[in-house]
Amino acid sequence: MAQGLRIRPLTELDVEPVTRIDERVTGKYRPDVWETRVVYYIRRDADSSQVAELDGTVVGFMLGEVRGGEFGLDEPTGWVEFFGVDPAARGRDIGRGLLEALLSHFRSRGAHLARTIVAERDTEIAGFIERLGFERAPLRAYEKRL
Amino acid sequence: MGEIRSELPKKYQAAVDHWQRHNFPEYPQVAKAWDKYFPKDEPFCLCAKLQTDMPTHVEVGDRKGQPKALQPKDLDPEAAKQLLMIIRAQASTEYGSIQQHHGTYERANDPQDQAWVLRVMAEEFRHGYQMIHLLTSADWSPVTDTKPEDMVEEILSMQTGSHVLAAFNLEYDSFVDNVVFAAFIDRVGKYQLTMQKVNAYAPMAASMPPMLKEEAFHLATGVIPMRRWAEKAAGPSPLVDMPALQRAVSKWFCRGLEMFGDERGGETNVRLGLKDLTNRDAQDRYVEECEQMLDDVNKRYVRARFPSLSREDADALYARVKADRGTVDGLSWDEDLLKLPHRGFFRRRGEFAFQMIGFDGEKFDDVEKYVAHVLARLPEAYRASVDVSHWAEMQRGVASGKVELKAAIRSMPRLARVGGTCPCANSVRWVVEVPGPSGEAPTLHP
Repeated sequence: MAQGLRIRPLTELDVEPVTRIDERVTGKYRPDVWETRVVYYIRRDADSSQVAELDGTVVGFMLGEVRGGEFGLDEPTGWVEFFGVDPAARGRDIGRGLLEALLSHFRSRGAHLARTIVAERDTEIAGFIERLGFERAPLRAYEKRL
Repeated sequence: MGEIRSELPKKYQAAVDHWQRHNFPEYPQVAKAWDKYFPKDEPFCLCAKLQTDMPTHVEVGDRKGQPKALQPKDLDPEAAKQLLMIIRAQASTEYGSIQQHHGTYERANDPQDQAWVLRVMAEEFRHGYQMIHLLTSADWSPVTDTKPEDMVEEILSMQTGSHVLAAFNLEYDSFVDNVVFAAFIDRVGKYQLTMQKVNAYAPMAASMPPMLKEEAFHLATGVIPMRRWAEKAAGPSPLVDMPALQRAVSKWFCRGLEMFGDERGGETNVRLGLKDLTNRDAQDRYVEECEQMLDDVNKRYVRARFPSLSREDADALYARVKADRGTVDGLSWDEDLLKLPHRGFFRRRGEFAFQMIGFDGEKFDDVEKYVAHVLARLPEAYRASVDVSHWAEMQRGVASGKVELKAAIRSMPRLARVGGTCPCANSVRWVVEVPGPSGEAPTLHP
């Protein structure tokens, strides 16, 4: 892990830095969205979602939790749902550190399987996920425009 | 990472249920609010929770490395006495905060904020239950002559004005207090619980992780509405403006500091293996977090007030106003933004007690000027309270030499810790013998 890097559980004080990272990545300022999401994950399991601090500044986040029963998949599953790394801090294995902490928590909650969904167009994210040991799942994602 | 759940013996369960009917009448709404606002969350459980797989050996202090105590008699006698006081104080805070939230719960202007506070109240109720479980599930007779029934009786008898810590003796003035209290006072709770995760008494240590998980949401119940109020405060006709939030911050922050105990103390708890930080170390970290919290709320305000600025420009504007303590582009440090008072401001306990230190750390020689300075920074309704008038009386007494500092520090308004019986009838206790399954139903309590 990069020097000065610390991975720790997400807290309510991370709303602002998570919003900042999202803004740097997407160009959109969405504090309401991140307030709602951060509170959701804290409320559900305060030890699950993780942030990465580099020299005391939050530079990455990964939100997820263990659930069971979704889509008929009864096995307790650790779902990796949102993550982001400050573009200025990339190249330091921050995503790997966040994922390892999240997966470790999933295991402690009894999950033996982690899942995530990546849009076809997000090849960079798919590459990142595959480098961390994720494989294509024998599942198909469907959608219908309404 | 497992959890063992248990319930209180019947007579204590009945006492807690009875207390709830008088002090937490909103409790029956919890299930419905849970279904609406937290539909997929694990349902609320009024029970004691003990985390399994906790460290089995003492982690700090003189007995570091020795097996943790499973019974009070296994503790160092001094540690056991100290722990009993900690549990009693912890229980007092849990029940006390429910009584405070109850006072202004109905005044919430946002149903979600209200539902969040209701969940906080329910979980504080469980935390109080947890402390009573610790008191009644083990034999404390080697440590105290007080019977468990009487310990529980004393805890349930406390009311706003007679709790152990000053922060739990202040009435809320409005729903702003429900929120700011959660942001500042529950944050102290988080520190206390975190420090007690190392506790040399294994059941106490195992009680902390489940409580901490719940406490994390309580802090969000404070911070998120503050952030949203700050954003609205930048627009026209806000319901809650920044000066109102600032006055609430000034009301609660000082009491939060005092909850850590005297800044010069805490070594005993570390030596006894009960906590892993001294009071000052814990307080320093708390202040740092509070600073960050207010910075974040202020930045939310600045972004809303100057929507055309980029993040970098908005952050730079805020940094400049904060550094200069001045006004830039109409953004005023004094009038628009939230600030933490100096640690010595409006203090009644600890190393700054009654030292007449102003909001920004300035020192006062004239007590009347100091009282006026403090009053001008507090919420209007709070200024008219018994708590503030008692403080002013003590402050004047200490300044004139008529009241000894130690006496002023010990003094609390409306001290009525003993003898608070159930309001159903003057002679009825909270804890009463409950007939067994074959006995008649209890008739004393409605």
